[in-house]
Amino acid sequence: MIVAIRKYSWIGWTAIRSNLAYLGEVISRALFLVVILFIFLQLWRVTFSELEATRLGGLTLPQMLWYLALTEAIILSAPRVSHEIDQDVRTGALAIQLIRPLSYPLYRLWTTLGERTVRFLINLGVGVLIVLVLVGPIPLQPMLVLGIPVLALAFVLDFLSYLLIGLAAFWLEETSGIFLIYSRLTMILGGMMMPLELFPDALQAVLRWLPFANIVYGPALMVIAPDLDAFGPLVMRQTIMIMVLSLFAALVYRAALKRIHAHGG
Amino acid sequence: MIARLWNYLDLAVAYIRFNLKSQMEYRGAFISQIAAMILNDGVWVAFWVLYFTRFPVLRGWGVEDVMTIWALTASGFGLAHALYGNVIFLPFLIIQGQLDAWMLYPRALLPHMLLGKMNATAWGDALFGYGVYFLLVQPDLIHALMFICLTISCATLFIGFGILAGSLAFFVGNAANLTEQWRISLITFSTYPSILFEGLVKILLFTLIPAGFVTHFPIQVLRHLSLLDGIFTLGGTLGFLLLSIIVFHLGLRRYESGNLTEMRG
Repeated sequence: MIVAIRKYSWIGWTAIRSNLAYLGEVISRALFLVVILFIFLQLWRVTFSELEATRLGGLTLPQMLWYLALTEAIILSAPRVSHEIDQDVRTGALAIQLIRPLSYPLYRLWTTLGERTVRFLINLGVGVLIVLVLVGPIPLQPMLVLGIPVLALAFVLDFLSYLLIGLAAFWLEETSGIFLIYSRLTMILGGMMMPLELFPDALQAVLRWLPFANIVYGPALMVIAPDLDAFGPLVMRQTIMIMVLSLFAALVYRAALKRIHAHGG
Repeated sequence: MIARLWNYLDLAVAYIRFNLKSQMEYRGAFISQIAAMILNDGVWVAFWVLYFTRFPVLRGWGVEDVMTIWALTASGFGLAHALYGNVIFLPFLIIQGQLDAWMLYPRALLPHMLLGKMNATAWGDALFGYGVYFLLVQPDLIHALMFICLTISCATLFIGFGILAGSLAFFVGNAANLTEQWRISLITFSTYPSILFEGLVKILLFTLIPAGFVTHFPIQVLRHLSLLDGIFTLGGTLGFLLLSIIVFHLGLRRYESGNLTEMRG
């Protein structure tokens, strides 16, 4: 067990170092954050002023922009792991991975977590700099550390969805369409552009029980406005979803392995 | 002059037919990419519907206005890249010295080379744009005709912008990342109401990131059937196209062959 933990931690650490080697490229891609956060600031500044509101969805204007910086950092750090799995399946590279003394899904999980950690921290750093310039600091509470475990669970949950999309390559001609739809649903239904409280009331209850909001909205709000009462239910929902998706992924992976035909070469 | 234009239209039709046949070789993938893009665009419009459900008016703009700018941007972008798909690959063609092959034809280089590829997902954007305007906004005949003219103007703007951004590669070497960021900025600004922006940013939207010719003047044209705004739209678009052609040909003097030997079917 300890050997396995050390092995997969090492894989994660290698992914972190590998991504740090391309820091310039990752930072240049984060430039998009400048554009989008500026547009969001204008949108919400106009909305707050039109309504003469001091709070919307429980957040002040600066808090709203900090919330958006976090949701953008979460969304923009999503790696294209489903595409990589898709390619492993189509090119047969998966067969090579299988002869290694590793579990392929766990190998992918730890590589993804390493890569995502670097991307998330860089995006967050750039995002924080931008919002500091645009709206200044907001009072952050020490309890914001509660955001760390929920972010980690959110990344695992997101990974499981991407794993399932990538494994769909065993049955489908093209998986990029499903990837696109999933990523867009995560953005909109996850609360990337506005917190769940601003969605129609009937929709809010449903969205809380879908993975999207537990990947984006829940963790972002836990950092901006930490709430011990909301922490327990959020972790519970994330854990249940991870267990259900893990079980489903295990079944799909087992079925997929039966479809592999090695012909040598 | 007319004979040359007619001849070019003949060539364009032949390329479109050929590119479509090539896409239809992978019919399933082609259709699924189109469907995914329609869904992708639909998700963004869904956000605006949710937003306007909560906040019905944004400085005089309603959900119908935002649907119109989405329809204009999507159909303009779609038309441009469905017909002139190579415009996205321009920086790569320049960096890798692959303009050589296009220079050998007895045709004007730029308009011929741009026809060389078709972007499958762009058809999804075009269908989405026209679908949203005709099915959801439901215009009368004069607005419908005006909309079609404006989409052609937007498509011309996107082509001009693509040439200008792509031509950066002549001057700064590997500009693919910069070009991509610049293009995304134009698309992003083109999908938000122009009334959100003031001062220096508004000037940028008519110069460096010419989204104003997609979201500002065209909306005035459709709202008030204003001839003057129509002239501004067309003038800005043609000015941008002219500038891009000049920059491309200036850059072409710095072009270096890739000395690449390849087979072309």
